[in-house]
Amino acid sequence: MAQVACTHCHLKFDESVMIIEKSQEETLYFCCKGCEGVYHLLQDEGLDTFYEKLGKQTLHPATQSDDDLSRFDLEGFKNKYIKTNSDGLSEISLIIEGIHCSACVWLNEKVLHQTNGIVEATINYSNNKAKVIWDDEEIKLSQIIEKIRSIGYNAYPYDPSLQEERSIKTRNEYYTRILVGVFTTMNIMWLAIAQYAGYFSGIDAGHKNILTIAEFVLATPTLFYSGWIFFRGAYYGLKNRFVNMDLLVSAGALLAYLYSIYAMITRTGEVYFDSVTMIITFVLVGKYLEVLSKKQASDTLDKIIGTMPTEATVVKEGEKTLVSLENIEIGDIIELKPGEKVAIDGLLQNGAASFDESSLTGENEPTYKQTGDNILSGTICLDSVIRYRVTKRAEESLLHTITELLSDSITKKPYIEQLANTISGYFSLTILTIALLTFSGWYWFNGSFEIALITAISVIVIACPCALGLATPMATLIGVSQAAKRGILFKESRMLETMAKSTLLALDKTGTITEGKPSVIHMNTHEGFDPSLLLALVHSSNHPVSQGIEQYLHDTYDDLTPATLTDIKSIDAKGIIAHTGDISLAGGNISLMASFGIPVDFESSYTLFLFALNQQVVATIELQDQIKEEARETLTKLRQQGMKIVMLTGDHEASAQTIAKNVGIETVYHSLLPADKASLIDRFHKEGEIVVMAGDGINDAIALAKSDIACAMGSGADIAIEVSDVVLLDDRLTTLADAFSISRRTFAAVKQNLGFSIVYNVITVPLAVMGYVTPLIAAISMSLSSLVVVANSSRIKIKGNS
Amino acid sequence: MSGSIMTMMIGISTFLGALGLAALIWGIKTGQFDDQSKFIDGARFDNEDELRDAIQMEEKKKRAKEKAQKEKNYMPVD
Repeated sequence: MAQVACTHCHLKFDESVMIIEKSQEETLYFCCKGCEGVYHLLQDEGLDTFYEKLGKQTLHPATQSDDDLSRFDLEGFKNKYIKTNSDGLSEISLIIEGIHCSACVWLNEKVLHQTNGIVEATINYSNNKAKVIWDDEEIKLSQIIEKIRSIGYNAYPYDPSLQEERSIKTRNEYYTRILVGVFTTMNIMWLAIAQYAGYFSGIDAGHKNILTIAEFVLATPTLFYSGWIFFRGAYYGLKNRFVNMDLLVSAGALLAYLYSIYAMITRTGEVYFDSVTMIITFVLVGKYLEVLSKKQASDTLDKIIGTMPTEATVVKEGEKTLVSLENIEIGDIIELKPGEKVAIDGLLQNGAASFDESSLTGENEPTYKQTGDNILSGTICLDSVIRYRVTKRAEESLLHTITELLSDSITKKPYIEQLANTISGYFSLTILTIALLTFSGWYWFNGSFEIALITAISVIVIACPCALGLATPMATLIGVSQAAKRGILFKESRMLETMAKSTLLALDKTGTITEGKPSVIHMNTHEGFDPSLLLALVHSSNHPVSQGIEQYLHDTYDDLTPATLTDIKSIDAKGIIAHTGDISLAGGNISLMASFGIPVDFESSYTLFLFALNQQVVATIELQDQIKEEARETLTKLRQQGMKIVMLTGDHEASAQTIAKNVGIETVYHSLLPADKASLIDRFHKEGEIVVMAGDGINDAIALAKSDIACAMGSGADIAIEVSDVVLLDDRLTTLADAFSISRRTFAAVKQNLGFSIVYNVITVPLAVMGYVTPLIAAISMSLSSLVVVANSSRIKIKGNS
Repeated sequence: MSGSIMTMMIGISTFLGALGLAALIWGIKTGQFDDQSKFIDGARFDNEDELRDAIQMEEKKKRAKEKAQKEKNYMPVD
């Protein structure tokens, strides 16, 4: 059958399933009612140029959200998100969901602008965050959100003061400082070229002086404005008795600067203003990249917090009232409607329902809960109205704790920073000590303060730029780019070092060791089985088991077309029933069969799916979550390299043990909640391990954030990817092993480079001490040593390809 | 080349460069570069309609401000 594109969202579907509308000139196709509604709305409002702007882009079909709008007008919500500005107008920050391209941004802005009462609406193209200012007397927030929903998007509020304002401020600060640095460096470079040329071919002393003064003028703002960050870092480091990279950078640059001023005034020797600006600018750019990665993490966090409910329906003496979370007491009864997110932990009192717990456990299957079961915040009630008794206050509830922990971990990661700083700390300390010794030695034997200072400074100047500037970054740069070629993204280069030193690997089960979706391992068919009927039945459901079967049917049978079914009904946590003609179909687990009185004498240790026609079982299908290819080999290899491997999973014991046995993991922690996983990571830390955690779900996010190196699978949840340090794009465990080997090779190269730099310094520093270092020798030896470092680092690449 | 000419050339070129730098920094401080994509894609939707829209919004804003002012300064006649 021919596929046609939906007029609104441009996604292609079979012509038979489309809503077709014929007008005078053209035929319109819509994939759903939502798209149809939005299309006509845009036509009526005269906004149909949207489709021109959209071009060939596709959108998500417009879903009509039936989520309750009234929560936006509640008092608790207002206090939390809405600010009143100096003109008495209301202001809110929103995240708009469903934006795909710039045309979407255009449409949203346009619609908001045309709405009465909205005074300002700006949407950020990159992160889809919007700022809306409106007059509360003319329009209500719920109406604004309704407007956004009516054109097929959705909006969540968020609190910008939490993360965003701070990170934008730091980013802009860095950006300005870097710009000043780059500008002066570029200008000093061409002045320095003239000066070097003059050194070789002779230059008039007066001209040289002009160049020097110009360089001085340019270097001054760089050192004190752009380099301020290093002075600050060095100061805080010293205050906490900690020699860090900042100290060496600032000391080296400052001393080179002072020496150059001395040389400029006395007109003796050469000036090093160009080195000053280069050191500052390059190291600053490296720091800026780190700041950027933090900003992205906070964007995702805002999204999670924004979907958190602010109110819940409390039932007191038969009356229902909406109460904001802070005012809910332990023991209150809360009513939950289908589709609502649980805001507060509690115990189910009345009724039974299925819950989507995927945000906490990572398991896709809904859990069926009855009276007396625990209700956890963050889960979503799927099918019926229930009442539960509150057992914890809002701020102690699970969802709240998770977001709290996450925002903590994004803002600080102290453990790693200490590790990464040890090497550069020792290095800085060594060079500073040598310089100090040189100074006191000369002062002692020569008696001249001036000569002693100049030689000490020349020691730092000759040691600083090449050894420090290249030894580590060069190796990590090549390491990171090699990793990227294999689908491993390191967010920060220094993570390579930590990863190389790691001793323990913690793995999540679903999605990390296994594929995360069940697939058919065995199917038994009996007389009367018709694959096209089964296909039609499983096609109607989004459950992972159904999808696994659908996949299997497509693989086994050629040219299968689903039969037409009527009265399709899905029975939660059990299965699906339907009719075709006078045949009744039922597909699901044993309890579904039992409820129809169909006898089943079949047992399996796997997930079982039964298919019955007219009360007769015609097919039994066994499914299992497949273990990823090469998982066993990879894990064995890693263990041989001295890694301890453990498995952390939210799944129950039996299935955890089965998988663990299959891949050869001995230590298994099962039935864990997100916070349990995180506290296990803490325990490993206390035992002195450096932990690499690999996972893919929201439920792993805290544990990922707590671990020294967090590895996320590329197909995992957004938040898991954001908090992680390493992303494996192809989701394979072999790639994880590659990441280990690349990081170890890189770390070895870093050590060699640092070792070489120190040896180099040990040789050149005495020369500098003895006064043999003219600028010519310094220039040659510096570039020579840099070349050695570059060549050594390139070996990572050669080995990586073999 | 005489020293004074060289000084002048370096001085003027650095000054002009610094002006450009200052303009760029002003742009950053006022948040004009906060949104990288708008910087690139925004030009695609920049025509007469958008200009009219912007003016309309400005007027709306002014009216809202005036209204707020009036309310603030409202005093019953005595």
